[in-house]
Amino acid sequence: MQKEILRSVEANTYFKLDPRTKLMLMLIINISIFGGAIIYIMLLMAAIPLFLLFVNKKIKPALYCTLAYTLAILINEFLVPVTYGILNIFIVMVSGMLYRMMPGFIMGYYLISTTTVSEFIASMEHMHVPQKIIIPMAVMFRFFPTIGEEARSISNAMRMRRVGFSSGGFFKNPILMLEYRLIPLLMSTVKIGDELSAASLTRGLGGPVKRTNICEIGFGIQDIILSIIAVTTFIGFILL
Amino acid sequence: MSEKLEVQDLINVGIFTALYFLIMFASGMLGFIPIIFLFFPLYMPIISSIPFMLFLTKVKKFGMVTIMSIILGLLMFATGHTWVPLVATIICGFFADLIFKAGKYQSFKHTVLGYSIFSFWLMGAMLPLWIMRDSYFAYIRESMGKEYANAIFTMTPVWIAYVMVGVIFIAGIIGAFFGKAILKKHFKRAGIL
Repeated sequence: MQKEILRSVEANTYFKLDPRTKLMLMLIINISIFGGAIIYIMLLMAAIPLFLLFVNKKIKPALYCTLAYTLAILINEFLVPVTYGILNIFIVMVSGMLYRMMPGFIMGYYLISTTTVSEFIASMEHMHVPQKIIIPMAVMFRFFPTIGEEARSISNAMRMRRVGFSSGGFFKNPILMLEYRLIPLLMSTVKIGDELSAASLTRGLGGPVKRTNICEIGFGIQDIILSIIAVTTFIGFILL
Repeated sequence: MSEKLEVQDLINVGIFTALYFLIMFASGMLGFIPIIFLFFPLYMPIISSIPFMLFLTKVKKFGMVTIMSIILGLLMFATGHTWVPLVATIICGFFADLIFKAGKYQSFKHTVLGYSIFSFWLMGAMLPLWIMRDSYFAYIRESMGKEYANAIFTMTPVWIAYVMVGVIFIAGIIGAFFGKAILKKHFKRAGIL
């Protein structure tokens, strides 16, 4: 199956959140991570997306994330105070990055791996975001995996011609390497883009009539509970 | 051709924003090495000029560059930056768009200047280093430890900010010429433009 960033098929789960709730959680987590220094709040902020991953049956990524995060916390708590000099800088860079960034990344992963494109567009429309922002954003999310796939194919083809990072060519002439990778990627992406716009015009994306969306989104009991938890934590973060 | 943005334009904006962001993100990964992160504004506009110049050949209407900058800013915000880059990006994108428009999206002179202005959005990610210096360093010291904060602190005196503005401007000009040359070498010859 093709890998997708925003899913086109609905996930089979009992615990479904409204995309707007997910966005709000993401916002709260990002803001409080930037300013946060209290470990309990950080832990709670990391626990929310991990919990969401587990109940959505993304067991494997959830386990990896939990492991990496626990490791980062342990290093941060016990190893950082006892090291000095260049070693300290190195450890802090790795563990601090993981420690700070991971809750946001996990939440982002959860957001894009459990939301369908229709849900995303429907919720944006409910928030009265103009079409001029919604369409490019939807296209952009649609294109991230496509670009990755193309880049992988190009890199395979180039390796066959012994043009690669491993064969030492990169250090001889980095600009040429850039050219060999980037230009084919741009060529194929532009072509795919033209096809995509033709396809979406055929489906009436540019029509003057307001488009309807059969996707049902709405707030449920789980949205309310999670929002209350997140907002309480956020208030705690501001007060403390 | 009407002045209103059509679906095709919006799709182009989406595609090139994705390309631009991915290329920026990939080259930004080098920034994990603390010394190289100071050179980021030098090489980044040069690398990302290739997709951007290609994007400009598709831009014929006002607003496309602005929308691109809004989405870029939102992406930066979502990947854990402050609100400063969001504002900086939108302002830079808007002014770049005005300059491109003044050249009717054709003149190369305006393209060079506009691309340099657009590249200033990179400053946005670094501005907290200088304008909110005290609180930002308190934050770094808190999260990354004293040694790391001191290393960054000594590497970034205030005058570096001015140097960086100049570096970005020059890198933007070099990037514009570089991107143009690449376009001419590959895309014109292949008949894509």
